[in-house]
Amino acid sequence: MASTASLRANRYQTASTTVALSAIVLIIALIGMFTFDVSWMVDNLGFTKRVDARVPSFFARFSCLIIALGAAFICFTNTSLYKRNKLTYAPWIFLFIGTAFFLIYVIIPIFQSISYSFTKWDGLYDINGFWTGEWVGLRNYVQLLDDPNFYTSLWNNILWLVLYMLAVPAGLGIALFLNQTVGGIRIYKSLFFFPFVISQVVVGLIFAWTYNPEFGLLSEVWGFFFCEQTTNIMGNLTTTCTVDPPSILGDPKYATYGIIAAGLWPQIAYCMILYLTGLNNVSPDQIEAGRLDNAKGWKMLWHIILPQLKPATFIAVVVTVIGALRSFDMVATMTQGGPFGSTNVLAYYMFDQAVGEGVGRYGYGSAIATVLFAIMLIYISYFLWRMYQDEKEGN
Amino acid sequence: MLKSIAKLASLAGALALITSVATARDLVINFDDLNPGPKKGFDDAVEAFRAAYPDINVIVNNTDREAHKTAIRNFLTNDAPDVTSWYPGNRMAPFVDAGLFADISDLWASDENLSSNFEAIKPTMTRDGKQWGVPYSYYQWGVYYRKDIFDKLNLAEPKTWDELLSACDVMTENGVTPFSIGTKFLWTAAGVFDYLNLRTNGYDVHNGLTAGEIKYTDDRIRATFANWATMLERCSFVKNHATMSWQEAIAPFANGDAAMYVMGNFAVDGFKNADLTEDQIDFFQFPEITPGLARAEEAPADALFIPAKAKNKEDARLFLSFVAQADIQSQWNKTIGQLPPNSAAAINEDDKFIVEGFATVSTAAGLAQFFDRDAPAAMAKAGMEGFQKFMLEPGSLDEILENLDKVQAEVY
Repeated sequence: MASTASLRANRYQTASTTVALSAIVLIIALIGMFTFDVSWMVDNLGFTKRVDARVPSFFARFSCLIIALGAAFICFTNTSLYKRNKLTYAPWIFLFIGTAFFLIYVIIPIFQSISYSFTKWDGLYDINGFWTGEWVGLRNYVQLLDDPNFYTSLWNNILWLVLYMLAVPAGLGIALFLNQTVGGIRIYKSLFFFPFVISQVVVGLIFAWTYNPEFGLLSEVWGFFFCEQTTNIMGNLTTTCTVDPPSILGDPKYATYGIIAAGLWPQIAYCMILYLTGLNNVSPDQIEAGRLDNAKGWKMLWHIILPQLKPATFIAVVVTVIGALRSFDMVATMTQGGPFGSTNVLAYYMFDQAVGEGVGRYGYGSAIATVLFAIMLIYISYFLWRMYQDEKEGN
Repeated sequence: MLKSIAKLASLAGALALITSVATARDLVINFDDLNPGPKKGFDDAVEAFRAAYPDINVIVNNTDREAHKTAIRNFLTNDAPDVTSWYPGNRMAPFVDAGLFADISDLWASDENLSSNFEAIKPTMTRDGKQWGVPYSYYQWGVYYRKDIFDKLNLAEPKTWDELLSACDVMTENGVTPFSIGTKFLWTAAGVFDYLNLRTNGYDVHNGLTAGEIKYTDDRIRATFANWATMLERCSFVKNHATMSWQEAIAPFANGDAAMYVMGNFAVDGFKNADLTEDQIDFFQFPEITPGLARAEEAPADALFIPAKAKNKEDARLFLSFVAQADIQSQWNKTIGQLPPNSAAAINEDDKFIVEGFATVSTAAGLAQFFDRDAPAAMAKAGMEGFQKFMLEPGSLDEILENLDKVQAEVY
């Protein structure tokens, strides 16, 4: 009996020592986090020649932060409050880091960006680190309503949304075609999947070169029908055409379609792989039953296969819509929004106005971002609502 | 433990503060050109400075030009160097307005060399009546042409608009496209516009336009666009210019498919890399359009500035007045193949483009910086898009000009 009591006391003592120690560490780490300044040490102690001391300072402070968090964690888990309510608190401890990062990198910037959209700001802070913008209320939004480039971008976004959807049936078609068992089918599948693996930037470059009216593949093919090699006045070979090859990315009428076609290539591959995995799960019993009821061809596809592919279709539509709204890298690599802004999409126009080529209209860019966010929000809410409904039904 | 380290550090720091004044005269310079020629020109100037002031410890951070454009927005507020390169005109305006560049008007007033030999370029370095930087180099713009093609077609350098148009007619008849240009990145079209406007309306109107005092729908600006329309018709540009960069547009010029190129002097290097020899290429000033108008030229300058947060402003000023000296400017610009802004500096007499360029800009009645440096960035972007649109769809002129007026009303 006595031994248990002393054991208990001993354990209590260990715990309180741990807590005391971690509390001390916590305080030191907190002080260190706010005061540690390597550049000060470098400047005043003559350690080295002047270097960029921000990096070591950052790491010193960051280590202090980690130590402080660890100490706080130990302190907290040793309190009786925590011990009595483990089940309530434990999940939050695990969620803490993820939530913190989500807040810092996603949630707070959204609100910051919305607040900037009511200001005129060129992205600079003055010498004292104060923000140099001014509050202009709704003026950026009023300007947006009167900006032809904004309507061009919005229209192009709609074009992207609609035409990008072609990736879903095209992906399904290829998946159905590849869903057979012949020798080497895996190689064919990988080849079809290949474009999704290459970086978007590379896809953009390849298509830009293909379209190039001077030396592109398209102009070569065109030249076979309409052009001939002649010598010019300086005796050099040059190409003269009866009908000029189309300058797809240089003509505002075709440029956006040209970029969407380039974007579709990897997107089709993505949808295809989603459907291929979906087809693996199609139940053979139902196909068999369908056969018995005399279903084949389109009927079989429409009534038996497609309903079972519903989850795959859902995901394919979701990723395609998101891909269409994010269509930034393609535009950036292929045309930079040109010619004269005719291939801008909201995402690129926002970037262009805020940070591109020193234009520096951060307020205006934020207003565009807010509009884009609002459009996405409609879609995201629908998506979340669908997920919630599915959960509720329990399937 | 960390606390004790911090304590120790602060103690030692306090001691160090008492016992010694600033130990070394460190001078940090951020420069923005890693291309071999420009880098050498800068490095040589720094070496000369080191030799002249051995007790100053010069630290150079040289970065790529595009990276510098992004980085400067951060380092001016956070970790400022003592000297940084940047562009004058409206490009320096945001930093001047935010108080991030140091005012060096007193240096311009007290330094004899700066106050007497930089008269022509002083207005470009001035904002709110004060001077903010020291230019180290500038270069001319104009028409570069294929001399061999001109000789073959018996054409002389055109001096007037009519001469240019009839020369273009001859070229077109012989299957040569008069002008090469690549407008994918827009700014090249602004070079053409600037010259047409400077020659149609003169420096004051052009300046008024880029300063936001004259509307784009003004009749004088419409006259400029009317001339441009004539040019598109008779002095046409290469097809597909909207898909080409200025470097890609050298190809038809080098191949003899196009005979002229409105460009800055930096393009000569590109021409030579495309296997054109000095004898094949030559330069003429953009021809006169409105007779009797004082001739203004496009001549963008590069300059050095002192950030307001610089730690060693004394030595930074020493460096700026050092690189303003005639001999340093001569040597630097000889290396990079450009013109020294110092009027007492010597130019490289062996380079025919430099000789002609110097003759062009030193006799000019006014110097423009270039559309995207004279106009604020947001206006420049919209303007250059408008120019490209006009080149592709001349019919939509009214729509373009009205939109530019709208942007102008917002930006200024």
